[in-house]
Amino acid sequence: MTIQDYRADALRCTRCAYCKWVPLDLMKSWRFSKGCPSIEYGKFHSYSAGGRLITSLSLMDGRSTVTDKVRDSVFMCNMCGSCDVACKMCRYDMEPLLAMHELRAKLVEDGDLPEAYQPMLESLRTDYNTMGEPHERRGDWAKDLGVKDLTKTTAKYVFHAGCRYSFDGEQSEVARTAVAILKKAGLDFGIMGAAESCCGGKAFSIGVDQQLHKSADHNLAAWKKAGVDTVITACADCYYAFKRLYTQHAGSTIKVVHMVELLDQMVADGSLKMTNPVPMKVTYHDPCHLGRQGEDYVPWDGVEKKIFGQAVVYDPPRPRYNGAFGVYDAPRNVLKAIPGVELVEMERIKEGAWCCGAGGGAREGYPKFSEWTAGERIEEAESTGADALVTACPWCERNFIDAVRGAKGKLEVLDILQLVDMAL
Amino acid sequence: MEISRDAYRAIEDIVGPDNVTDDPAFLDSYAFEWLAELVRPNRSHYMPRPWAVVMPASTREVQAVTKVCNKYKIKIKPISTGWYHWAAPMKDDEPTVQFDLRRMNRIIDIDEKNRFAIVEPYVICAQLQAEAMKLGLNCNIIGAGSSTSVVASACAYFGGGPSSHYMGNNSDNLLGQEWVTPAGKVVRTGSLSSGAGWFCSEGPGPSVRGVTRGNLGSRGGLGTYTKCAIKLADWPGPAEMEVKGRPPGYRLPIGENFRAYTIGAPNWEAWANCYYAIYDNGLGYIFHRQLNLAGANLATALWLTYIDPTKTLNDVETLAKDPEIIAINETARISFQLILAAQSIDGIQLQDKILDEILSQTGCYRVERYCEQDMAEFTNMYMQRLGHKHCNFIWAGGYMGSWMQAGTPDFVKGYVPTAIKGFEDDQQSHLLVECGGDALMGCGSTLGGGGYFGLEQFVSYDPASDASIDACIKHMEDAIADCVAQGIPLGKEQLYLQIGWTDQRIWDGMAKAPQTFVLDFQRQFKDAVDPNYLGDRNYPWLPEKWGEAPAPAQAK
Repeated sequence: MTIQDYRADALRCTRCAYCKWVPLDLMKSWRFSKGCPSIEYGKFHSYSAGGRLITSLSLMDGRSTVTDKVRDSVFMCNMCGSCDVACKMCRYDMEPLLAMHELRAKLVEDGDLPEAYQPMLESLRTDYNTMGEPHERRGDWAKDLGVKDLTKTTAKYVFHAGCRYSFDGEQSEVARTAVAILKKAGLDFGIMGAAESCCGGKAFSIGVDQQLHKSADHNLAAWKKAGVDTVITACADCYYAFKRLYTQHAGSTIKVVHMVELLDQMVADGSLKMTNPVPMKVTYHDPCHLGRQGEDYVPWDGVEKKIFGQAVVYDPPRPRYNGAFGVYDAPRNVLKAIPGVELVEMERIKEGAWCCGAGGGAREGYPKFSEWTAGERIEEAESTGADALVTACPWCERNFIDAVRGAKGKLEVLDILQLVDMAL
Repeated sequence: MEISRDAYRAIEDIVGPDNVTDDPAFLDSYAFEWLAELVRPNRSHYMPRPWAVVMPASTREVQAVTKVCNKYKIKIKPISTGWYHWAAPMKDDEPTVQFDLRRMNRIIDIDEKNRFAIVEPYVICAQLQAEAMKLGLNCNIIGAGSSTSVVASACAYFGGGPSSHYMGNNSDNLLGQEWVTPAGKVVRTGSLSSGAGWFCSEGPGPSVRGVTRGNLGSRGGLGTYTKCAIKLADWPGPAEMEVKGRPPGYRLPIGENFRAYTIGAPNWEAWANCYYAIYDNGLGYIFHRQLNLAGANLATALWLTYIDPTKTLNDVETLAKDPEIIAINETARISFQLILAAQSIDGIQLQDKILDEILSQTGCYRVERYCEQDMAEFTNMYMQRLGHKHCNFIWAGGYMGSWMQAGTPDFVKGYVPTAIKGFEDDQQSHLLVECGGDALMGCGSTLGGGGYFGLEQFVSYDPASDASIDACIKHMEDAIADCVAQGIPLGKEQLYLQIGWTDQRIWDGMAKAPQTFVLDFQRQFKDAVDPNYLGDRNYPWLPEKWGEAPAPAQAK
C-alpha cells in the first residue's frame, strides 16, 4: 500500500475531530477526556489523525513540502490507534492508522526520517535489536534457567523475550518469571537465545517496513527450523508484530500467544493456583498493541465498491479493526484471581486507553513527548488511589518507570507476571 | 501569499513561537473543510488558506493578537473545534489569521446551586456533560453532537439540539459572554459586566446577544468569544454513565426512572398531532427524529448492523432485502426518538400513562423492535451523549443538509412531501446514496417547552467522487427551486452554498429580503465594533445604499 491508496480516506475525512478524543460515549471527566497524545502535545491540527490525512493530501497534491515541522507532525505520534477507534465509531470507510503509517513510509522513502532514529536502526542492522546492545548477549537473561536452546533442538513452543526483556537488566526478571510459569504449565518450549532477533515492529512503526520483513524472515525461518508452531511472548509489541504484521506482511501462520492469555487459560483450567495473598490495590494499563490493536488479523485482498448508489463498501467485505475484540479480559481475569489484589479501573481503559508514550518510535525519536505522555497516564493511575500500575508490556513499563522516577512519584510499576510471581 | 514578517513576529511575541505557524502543510490542515468541495472552484476540498494559525491561551492574548491584526489589517477567523467550511477564511486573496482556540479549554466553574457552567471555547459538550452529571446536572447538546464547542453553539452558531425541548436552546441558555471584538475591545455582557456574576445575559450591563448571535450567530465572523456561561438542566440519572458493550454500538442501560422509545406514526398527520400532544403534556427529556438520518428505506438495516460489532456496511445490503427487516422498517418509516426521564418511579410511570394516552389518541405507537433492549439501550446512549452524531457521514463520508426550515409541526409537515419527492427524484441519478426520499432528521423542538423545529434532509454523497459532488450540488439547487416554487424561505442548502458566492451575489440576494433595514442596522453595528472590517461575511450585513429600491416592508 502507499499513501495514494488512502487518498479517498483523506477526501472523505470531515475534520470532525473525533480522532482527538476518547470515544465520546466513554468520556467520564474533563481531565481524562483526551484520546490522542500527539494532538495534546503538538496542539496544531496537523498532529491529529485527521490532520495527517490532510498533510498526505497536501503533499500528494504538491500544495506543500516536507519541512521540519511537517516531519515532526508525522513522527511525533505513538501510533497508538486511539484515533482509529474513535474515527471508526461512525465510519466504516476510513483507516486513519494505516494511512498514517503509509505517510511515514513515504517520508522514509524520500529520505525524511528524523535523524534521531538512526542509532536504533543501526543497532537493528548490526545487532538485531533496538537497544544498541551486542546481539551475543541477547540470551544472557536465561543463562542459568536450563531452558532448551532451540538453535540446537526443537520444541512446540518458543518463548520470545524481545529486546527489552533481553537487555534491560531491571526488567529481565519478568522474562525469567515467564519461563518459570511456562515450566509449571508443562509446555514443551525453548528460546532462541542469541539467535533471537527483534520482532521488527518498532522499525515498522516508524515506516521502515523493510526492517520488519528482514526480522520476520529471520525469526520465521528460525522457528520453522526448530519445529515451533506457537510463539509465546510477554511483550505486547512483539505480540502485535507476530500476530498482525507477520501474518499480513510475511504470510506467517504461526500461532501467537501473549503470556496473559496463557495465564488466563491456566487460571481457568485450574493449572495455575495463586495462594499467597498480595494485598495491593492495582490499576491495569491496556497496552495498545495487546488491547485495541491486539485483534486477530484477517487476510483481505479486495476493492472498494458502491451499494445503494454511493454507499462505500468493500468486495469482499473488509475486516474491521476498531478495538472491539482486543485482549482486555485475560489480564483482568488474572488480576482478579490473585488473592488480595483489588483491581480499580482508570477512566480510559480497553479500546479507550491512553497510550504509555513509548509506541510508534516516540521514545526513541521524541523522548520529551514520550515522557509527557507517560506522565499523563501516571496521573490517571494515581487518581484511582492504586498502589501500583500494572501492565503487560515492557515498553509501557519502562516508560512508566522512567516517568514515575522523573517526577519522584511513589506509584509502583509492575508487570502482571511480577504480581503472579508474588502470588505463587 | 504570506503574512508579513513584522506581523508574524508581533504575534509570536505574544503567544510564543510554539503557538503560531505559517507552515503551508499546517495551514492546509485548517483550510481543508467538510463541504468545501460543494462551493469551491474545481470541487477543491480546501477553503482559502489562512496566512497563519495562532493559538492564544487567554483572553489577554486574544486581545493582543487582535490588535496586531488591526495594525496590519489582517482578517481574524476564530475557531474552537473548527468544523464546517465557514470555519475557514472566506477569500483567497485576503490575509487572514486563524485563531485556533484549543488552548482555551477550561471549565472554569460549575455553579451547582444556580445551575450554570462557565467555560472556555475548547470545552466540548461531552466534557461539560460528564462533569455536570457528577452534580446531578446536564447540558443541552446541540444537534451536531457532543464533540462540538459549548461556547460556539451558545455564542456564535445555532444552539438547538435533541434536548432543547426540555433544556432550552443554547441561545437562550447563554447567561453571559466575554467577547473580544474585531477591534480588540473586551466586552463582557449582562450581569457579568457589572461584576455581579454570570447569572444573566441581559443587563445591567450591555446585552448584545441578539445582535451578535441572532438565530445562527456570527460563525467566527465578528470577533472572538472567549468565555461564556451556560444554563444547565437537571439530570435524574447516575453521576457517571455506565456504558456497556463493544464499539461502535455502545449501549447505555435504561435506569428505572428513564424510558427510551422510538415512536412510529401511520402518517404525517398523526405524526404532527403526536408532536403537538407531547408539547401540550410537557413530555420528553430528549425528543428528536434521529435514526432516520440513514434514510427511511435503510434505517432499520443500518442500525441493526451498527449495533453488531462483527458486521460491516456490506451486511446492510443483505439485511435491507430481508422481508422481516422490511416489515420492521415499515413500522419505523415515520418515527422519532423520545427519551423520558423523571425524578421518581411514580413520575416515570405517570409519563408512560400519558404517552399511552397520546399514542392512543393519535394512532401512533411504540416501534416494537426499536424498543427491545438492544436497540433501546443503543438509542438511549446515542441520544443522551450524542456521541454518534458523525454517523451523519456513515454512508460515504459526505452529507449535506437541505431544507430544515423551522416552524410548527403543521408547517414542517407541509414541506415534507416536497422534500421527500425532490430527494427521491435526485436519487435517480445513482450519484447520491439511495436511502429513500425521507432522510429527514431534526429536533422535536429547538425551543424549550416545544413548538418549533425543522427537519433537515440528510443528503449523503461521496466527496471522493466528482460526479457525486456534482449531484449533491444539483440537489441543493433543486431544493432551492422547490422552496421558491412553494413560497417558503430557503433552507440549509442556501446557507451552505452561499459560502462560495461572491459578496455581490450575497448582497444582491439579501437586498431582496423583506426587512433589509435589519441588515443595514447590522452594518452600523459592525462599523462600531469592527471599523477595519476584519471579521468576515458570516456576520450578515448590507453595504450602505445597497439595493436602494426599498422593499415594501422597508418603505415608510
